[in-house]
Parts: sequence; C-alpha cells; structure tokens
Amino acid sequence: MSELTYSRAVHALAVLLTIAVFPLIWVGGLVTTYDAGMAVPDWPGTYGWNMFAYPASTWLFGPFDLLVEHSHRLLGTLAGFLSIGLVIAAFRCDDRRWFRWWCVGVLLAVIAQGALGGARVVLDQRTFAMIHGCTGPLFFAIATATAVMSSRWWLRSQSMVGATRGVAWLATLLAATSYCQLILGAQLRHVTAAVSHTSFMAFVHTHLTLAGLVTLLTLCLVGLALASRVCEPRIRRPAGLLLLVVVLQIGLGIGTWIVNYALPWSETTSSLAGYTIAAKGFWESLIVTAHMATGSLIISLACVVALRAWHTIPARHVNE
Amino acid sequence: MLRLPPKRNQNSSFTRSARRWIKLAAGLFALSQVTGCDVPIDAFEDNRIFAKRLELTDSVELELVRSDVDSILIELFGTPDQPLWPEFLQSNEQTSSLVSIDRLQRAAGAVRSDEEDVHYGLYREHCILCHGIAGNGLGATSRLLNPYPRDFRLGKFKFKSTPIGSRPTRDDLRSLLRHGIAGTSMPSFARLPEDDIEALIDYVIYLTIRGEVERGLLMRATYELDLDAGERLTDSDQPESADVALNQADVKSNTINHHTIELVSAVARKWLMAKAHVLSVPAPPDDLPIYGSEPTTGAARERLAESIAHGRELFQGKVANCASCHGPLGAGDGTVTDYDDWTKDWTTQAGLDPLDKQQLRPMLKLGALKPRHILPRNLQLGVYRGGSRPEDLYTRIALGIDGTPMPAIPMQPTNPLGLTESDVWDLVNFLLSLPEQTDGESNQ
Ligand code: HEC
Ligand code: HEC
Repeated sequence: MSELTYSRAVHALAVLLTIAVFPLIWVGGLVTTYDAGMAVPDWPGTYGWNMFAYPASTWLFGPFDLLVEHSHRLLGTLAGFLSIGLVIAAFRCDDRRWFRWWCVGVLLAVIAQGALGGARVVLDQRTFAMIHGCTGPLFFAIATATAVMSSRWWLRSQSMVGATRGVAWLATLLAATSYCQLILGAQLRHVTAAVSHTSFMAFVHTHLTLAGLVTLLTLCLVGLALASRVCEPRIRRPAGLLLLVVVLQIGLGIGTWIVNYALPWSETTSSLAGYTIAAKGFWESLIVTAHMATGSLIISLACVVALRAWHTIPARHVNE
Repeated sequence: MLRLPPKRNQNSSFTRSARRWIKLAAGLFALSQVTGCDVPIDAFEDNRIFAKRLELTDSVELELVRSDVDSILIELFGTPDQPLWPEFLQSNEQTSSLVSIDRLQRAAGAVRSDEEDVHYGLYREHCILCHGIAGNGLGATSRLLNPYPRDFRLGKFKFKSTPIGSRPTRDDLRSLLRHGIAGTSMPSFARLPEDDIEALIDYVIYLTIRGEVERGLLMRATYELDLDAGERLTDSDQPESADVALNQADVKSNTINHHTIELVSAVARKWLMAKAHVLSVPAPPDDLPIYGSEPTTGAARERLAESIAHGRELFQGKVANCASCHGPLGAGDGTVTDYDDWTKDWTTQAGLDPLDKQQLRPMLKLGALKPRHILPRNLQLGVYRGGSRPEDLYTRIALGIDGTPMPAIPMQPTNPLGLTESDVWDLVNFLLSLPEQTDGESNQ
C-alpha cells in the first residue's frame, strides 16, 4: 500500500475543531441549567440585531442568561467556520476521496446542529432543546474521529497490527452504550411535568443500570487492552484514560443527584444532613454541566479507541 | 460576513422562511415523539385520591360531581396557563391583598424569559418537578425523595410562626423559599430576584387555596348533598346572609352558588387570619446566656450550665416528654412508627392500613406514594429544618410542627402544669448544646 501524504493543515483544523466543540458542549449545558435557552427569543438574529453586531456591552455585561446563550451561539459559529476551513483543506491536501466527503459531512453536521439549535429557539420547543443536546455530543465524537483519521499515526499505521478484534468490539459497544446513556441522561434532565413519578423512577433506574454496564465494559476493555500483547500504546493510553474518566463520571453523577434532589437518606451521614440545595447555585450548575460534558468525553474517547482498534486489527481476523 | 450593518429586523424574512422549513422538520420529529417534550399543560389534575377516600368511607358516587367540581374550579381559578383569582375575592377589600393577579400570571404558564432577564412561568421552572402541577406533591421526582415534597392542598405547612392549624404568613413562606429546608430536597431560592420569590409565594397560596376548595367541594358533595336525588354543587340557591348576597351580586355565573362563595371565602379568610396568630418570641430572661454566645463571667457560665441541665431534665421529663419520641439524648430513637398527616389523609383516614399493600393498592394506582414513617429528628446533628437561630428553636418547641406528631408544648398560664417561657429557653439551650455534648460522649 502506498504511503499516504499527511497534511498538517487538515489535522490541525480537525484538532482545533475538536477543541472548540468541547467548550461548546459546556456552554450548551449551562444554557439548559440556567433555562437560558430562550434568553434570546429570535434566531439567527439576536433581538433583531445581526448576531455578530449585537453590542458586546449588552451581552457581555448583561444578564448571565444572555451571556451564556449568546456566547453559545458565537462559539457555534466558530465551529462552523473551522468546518468550512476543514473542507477546503481536505479537498486541497488530502488524497483520500472518502475522507474529503467525510469532511463535507462534518460541515453538513455543523449546519444541521445549528439549525436544530435555531429550531429550539424559533419554535420554543423543549423537544428540540433535547434533540439539539443529544446531537451535540455526537458531533463532538465526529470531530474527534476526524482528528484521529487525519493524524500522522493513522496514515502510517495502515498495515500494522496494534489491536485485537475483542478490543475493537468492546470499544464500539462502549461508545454505543455510553451514547444511549447520554440520551437517557438528557431525558432525565429535560423531564417535564407530564412525566409521572413512576416513569421518572424507571428512567433513573435505567440510567443507573446503564452506568453499571458502562463501567463494566470499560473495565473489560482496559483489562483486555492491557492483557493483549499486540495492543498499541495508542490504544492502551486512551483506554486507561477512559477508566479514569468513567470513575470521575460516576462521582459527578452522584454529585448531580445530590445538588438537584439531595440524598433520600440524609440523616445517616451527618455531613449531608445539613446540606441545603441552592437553586441555580454556581457549584451546583457546574457539577451538573460537568456530568453532561464528561458523558460526551466518554463517548469520544471510546470512539478514539474503537477507531484505532478497527484500523489496526490484523486483516486476517477481519476475513475470518 | 462580520461586517454586516447592525440593522434591526434584518433577519426577519430569513427567520420567517427558516421557520417554515423548521416547522416541516418539526412535523417529522413529532412522528417520533420523545418523552421529554413540552406537553402543554391545560388542566390541573383532579384530587382523585381524596375523592376515593370519601368514596371508601362514605360510599358515595363522586364520579357524578367530577365535572361540576372541574368547572367550578376552572371558573374560579382558571388553568395552569391562565390562572384566575375569584372576582369576589379581588373586590373584597380584605381578601384583595392576599394574591395579586399580576404576580400570579408571572408565576404561571410556560417557562420563558426576556431581554431584561425577567423570568416567567416561575412555578414550572423551579417547583413543578417536585410539587406537581396542582401542588399535590406528586411531581415527577417525588417518588425518589425523602421526605416527599409537600402536598399543598391540605393547607398544612410545617415551618411557620403560627400555631398548628393556622396558615403560614407571607413572611414565613418568604423565609422558607430563601433558606430552603436543610437536609431535604427543598432548595433555597435565595438567588432568585425578590420579585420572583413574591410571585412564587402568591402561587403557593393560590395552589393551596385552590386545593382546599377542591377538597371542600368534594366534602360538601359527600356530606351535604343528596346526589342520588339529583342535588348538585352547581345548583343555584338563595343566599342566607346579606354579606354573601352582596358578593353574589358580583358573580354572574350558573356554576358558582353562594355555598361555593362561602367556602372559598372561608378558606381565604384562614390565610388572612394568619398574621393575628403569629407567636412573638419572648426575649430570654435577662440573666440567661444562650448557648453559643460565649458567656464571659464565671457566674454566667454556671447559669448556662444550670440552664442546660434543667433543659435536659425537661426534655426527659413527663410534661414536655420530648424523649418519648426523640429518645433520651435526642438521637431520634423514640417512637418511630408514626405517619404524618399527608400520609394519614389517604390511609388511616380512609380506613386503610398504611402497612397493608393490598389495601393501599387502589390509592397507589391513583398515584399516591408509598407510606413512609415520619421519624423524630436526630437532634444530635444540630440540623434544624425550620431555622437554627435560638428564636427558631423556641418557636418550634412552643408551636410544634404542623402535620407531624411533634406537638406544641403545653405552656403556662393556659395549662397550669405546663412550661414557662424560661423553661422553653432552657430547652433551647439544651438542644443547642446537644451536638457538642454527644460528640464528647461518643469520644469518651
Ligand atoms: C427538588 C425538589 C423540590 C423543589 C424543586 C421544590 N421543593 Fe418545595 N419541598 C420539597 C420537599 C421535599 C418538601 C418537604 C420538606 C419537609 O417535609 O420537611 C418541600 C416543602 C415545601 C413547602 C412546605 C414547607 C413547610 O413549611 O411545610 C413549600 C411551601 C414549598 N416546598 C414550596 C416550594 C416552591 C414555591 C418551590 C419552587 C420555587 C419548591 N418548593 C421547589 C421539595 C422541593
Ligand atoms: C410525638 C412525638 C414527638 C414529641 C413528643 C416531640 N417531638 Fe420533636 N419531632 C418529632 C418529629 C416526628 C419531628 C420531625 C418532623 C419533621 O421531620 O417534619 C420532630 C422534630 C423536632 C425538631 C426539629 C425541628 C426543625 O426545625 O428541624 C426539634 C428541634 C424537636 N423536634 C424538638 C423537640 C422537643 C424539644 C420536644 C419536647 C418539648 C419534642 N421535640 C417532642 C416528634 C416529636
């Protein structure tokens, strides 16, 4: 197989895009936490202004809602510009036809995501808020995948053996499970008065069960990656990181429950007996948003492992 | 692209066509409905559980009046999106101050906010997930919380400055919303602007009165009407007193009769009377230091030690008898098998055994939450849900906690065998010293 040329521009843009999308997910989470989704009631304009011309003095020093919602929009546009750059760079410098079209797909995905965000505002529908919230992490995973597939390592490891089928399958399963988990989390978050307490409890129990499953899968993945002699550090390292992030995520999940609903058995722990939830509190919002953003991180990390593993499993295994 | 002139309305035609496309997409999405969506809330839930209780205890057929109750309530109080406040309460000088229709409208309806960051739909933004649309305490999260969120419809509130049976004052509710309830899921809303809090207070009062009126209507249908003979809650009737006749003149309605007006007025009056029942906490005796205030002289220290010792005696003694529930050292290990009034309302009062799942089934089916025991508080933790200032503790001891087994203490001179004000302060000192004392004991 001929050596493919590595384009620094394409890779840099893909990495930048990934880096830009992560804070976008945080700020998007804050939009929900502060119920700021409708702080700006029109779209794509901002109170009748062109979005970029909206006076900074108004939104930067205005109400927090407005700051959050407006900066979310601006960051979203940044992601859009980076994607346009990515497409241009890919068509100029990348030899892989499929990759060029993948980059076009990335751009279309950004546009779709922006439109969904707009739909949430224009139609003032929380359903869209939730869909927008669920596709955001998906886009983050797509951006991460683009960065992985444009890397020098990817282009050079065409014919190397660095993973086993088991690792590849586990990582894929993990990515899928954690995405389901994220959607469930969004359901819990966007729960409305129309949901009965019985269904809410069912949602919570499912979320907990899936959390157990994600943890189990992660442990298996790490175990397998460490045990197998062929496994590349490029696969082991993100797998190990994944385990750390999952542990963090469990802590954040418990924290999220406490800052929203307190523990149902507060008296058994004297330190929590005196805790009072602060509605719209700073730390409270931070924990909840972190829980959501870390969920996206897990999905993306699982995608990294899965992609790298599928890329480097021995060809004969594939044909089996 | 960055340089477009900042013209207003520039995007309106774009927005309009975008809207059209997006609506199309919305239609497609609607096909695959997701649970989290914004379902319009066009009605308050009926109090089916209370109706069931009356049906069980008095074998009436309340299904016959269900639609009447609904239409009376809608005519008086409107809907979750369009709240109303009865005309005759607005026009009456005394009751008009109770709830303001403007604040009510701010608190009601869907969640939205404007450029000045004024939020609307406050109840739905902040409270509904726990307290439910109708304030029945059966919101989405309720089942997983302990204690369960408050059902406002009984008109009972725990932490207030008025005696058991009275409504809380606006100040009580304000302080409740500011501080939240420590150790429970009830948050502190201190971060909300004052106006928001005021609007929420109005809405709590509104939901409570609405819920009380609903119960009142069901009770009237059960105990005063001959439903089989065709009597209904909406039957027109002759006013008995001139006062009511005056009110009646304002109401041009076929559904609201003078019985209903009287019921609503009586419920509203209880709220108006709350202020008159507020307990004013007497200052502690001049020479009595309060625990935590660092007495400086030896004599004062001795006086405090005496006070605490006396407080402990009272706590364990026959009159106050705190120990019977809270345990001799306040660890909360006394009587632990009782239920609160919100639970008793649909269990024991309906003739059902709270422990018998089989019996409870019809109620659980209607959404009632599994009964839980109300536990006397573990006072060694030093966590007080109704406020932890010495005055708060004084109030709690003197007035008890409404809706729970925690009684108001018998006081002199009303009860010659009761405690004096200075005795209550001794109890307060004992309570305040408990966390530290018991810490010491467990270390020994
Ligand atoms: C996360 C759940 C939750 C939210 C959100 C919540 N509450 Fe509560 N609330 C509770 C619980 C639980 C209790 C019962 C505490 C107890 O019994 O000690 C309660 C009790 C109350 C009480 C009764 C207090 C008393 O003295 O008896 C009022 C009034 C109240 N809440 C109003 C509100 C209002 C108004 C809001 C919205 C601004 C709100 N709550 C939001 C959980 C919640
Ligand atoms: C019949 C049982 C009973 C008796 C007698 C009783 N209590 Fe309680 N007490 C309770 C219960 C139950 C609660 C918890 C109420 C709740 O959680 O809403 C409570 C709560 C309390 C609290 C917590 C209040 C707060 O703000 O959180 C204090 C303080 C207290 N009791 C003190 C006393 C004192 C002092 C006495 C004696 C004068 C006493 N109790 C007698 C049952 C009792």
